[in-house]
Amino acid sequence: MLLKLDNVTKRFGGLVAVDHVSLEIERGQFVGIAGPNGSGKTTLFNCISGVYFPEEGQIVFDDIDITRMPPYKRAPLGIGRTFQIPRPFSSATVRENVAVGAMFGTMSGQISVQESLKMADHTIELVGLQAHRDKAAGSLTPVEKKMTEIARALAMKPKLLLMDEAMAGMHPNDIDEMVAFIKRIARQEKIAIVAMVEHIMRALVNMAEKVIVLHQGAKLVDAPTQEALADPRVIEVYLGHPKET
Amino acid sequence: MNRVTQYYPILPVLLAYAILFIVGQTVSGTWQLVATLLFYCAMGQAFNIFLGMTGYVDFGYVAFMGMGTYGMALAITRLAHLPGLGAVVIVIGFGLALLMATLLSLAVGAVALRLRGAYFAIATIGVNEGFRFLIEGARIWNGAEGMIFTAQLVNIVGSERASRLMTYWADVMVLAIAVLAAAVTLFYMRNRVGYALTALREDEDAAKVMGINVTKYKIIAFITSACFAGLVGAASWALKTPYVFPPEVFEIHYTVEAIIIVMLGGAGTLLGPIVGGLIYGISKYYLSIFLPGLQLLVFAPIIIVIIVMFPEGVVGVLKNRTRNTALGRFII
Repeated sequence: MLLKLDNVTKRFGGLVAVDHVSLEIERGQFVGIAGPNGSGKTTLFNCISGVYFPEEGQIVFDDIDITRMPPYKRAPLGIGRTFQIPRPFSSATVRENVAVGAMFGTMSGQISVQESLKMADHTIELVGLQAHRDKAAGSLTPVEKKMTEIARALAMKPKLLLMDEAMAGMHPNDIDEMVAFIKRIARQEKIAIVAMVEHIMRALVNMAEKVIVLHQGAKLVDAPTQEALADPRVIEVYLGHPKET
Repeated sequence: MNRVTQYYPILPVLLAYAILFIVGQTVSGTWQLVATLLFYCAMGQAFNIFLGMTGYVDFGYVAFMGMGTYGMALAITRLAHLPGLGAVVIVIGFGLALLMATLLSLAVGAVALRLRGAYFAIATIGVNEGFRFLIEGARIWNGAEGMIFTAQLVNIVGSERASRLMTYWADVMVLAIAVLAAAVTLFYMRNRVGYALTALREDEDAAKVMGINVTKYKIIAFITSACFAGLVGAASWALKTPYVFPPEVFEIHYTVEAIIIVMLGGAGTLLGPIVGGLIYGISKYYLSIFLPGLQLLVFAPIIIVIIVMFPEGVVGVLKNRTRNTALGRFII
């Protein structure tokens, strides 16, 4: 077991954003988190990466209780993250961005700046950004920024990668390519991936071994992908009640 | 980029300061101007380590220079009568300047660095004013009367050397502090500290999630910057002019000047503070000669035009233009 959430609850005033969610993620597993707008996906991600601390429940990562651990201590344990709108360090070059991942990720403290830069070069080649290596990350196109962010997260050598709506705004062809790439890397590096998907179910079907569907903060379905997507409750959440005839 | 070539950018810094020094020494009548320019460059160089590298604006910055001034003043006034110490008092003065700037920066940092962006800036405005009124009101270190210690300085090093110290060596010390500050800046840039600071300057939340203890690195930059400010204060405000009055050293005007210098030159760049300091110092000097009384009226639009033309600062733009060229290896 890599990640275990036990009855995690996060409230904002009277609003229960995450409502007693329990889930388990195995090493190297590919899991999709789905649910309509406002269903608590991002808040759940923020609890796992440490942006918020939950009011109730427990989060255990790699046998360590991280429930109230500050975010900067979680990354060296092996939790990586990408954002819905890519957030590369704009003034730094792609190479420097990715090197930050290597430097402060799971090898934090054991790897020199020179080695980090070398590793960054390797990761940049992996994601195919060689041509942009020495450009400022802020000058890239949205898709290139996204790839920079993914490279930065991969350079952390994480055990778990949280991908926040990784495919939003991408062309369908690019999505297929990206899905194949992520899946290949995850398998190679034995990274568990939790991908948040709001709209693009097509990506989810191709990627995930299991899908967790959230609805109004609570877990609705937690099942293998095909089964979850066929579940009438999931269809209802996305499309509403079937019309009574 | 290997271990040696990555430190090449220090060369233009050394070259610029060497030229400045040689001009001041060989062209008669220019030393005062050069001394002023060195002061601006050193102040910019010190401030850049915090403002430039973290993107946080500290309006109470000049208080660290004030602390340094008081550190040197206290060492000279309290120790001058002790026999046998001689010039060691000045070394102790620099030590005290460092210590006092560090202590104040720790106190301010522990409280204010918990705040983000604009809130930090607002919180620090009070530090400088508060400190000035504390010293005046509580009559600490002679309160509003300040300290005049020319006599003690003469007592320590002799009258001839004291005047040489005030007119020459103090400026050379400022030069040395500026060079040292630049060297530390480059060293930070090439190490984890620099990468962490760039990351937190661009996106503090993303930096945290990437495993960067942002508070730690902000405090490192803050203390380093404050220490160099303290040294500049000790050399330029205590040794060059051996007196200290609270309203003169806790004067927010200098903070604003430092911010302008850093922004003009290019925040977070190594060469920026020199370029900014030179542009600022030279234009201020000549404008006050040719347009006395009107200098600020003319100066303000000039600064606005430069900022509009070079939003990333002169060196910031230069750095982007020369990226991936032979010249680019020297300009950061």
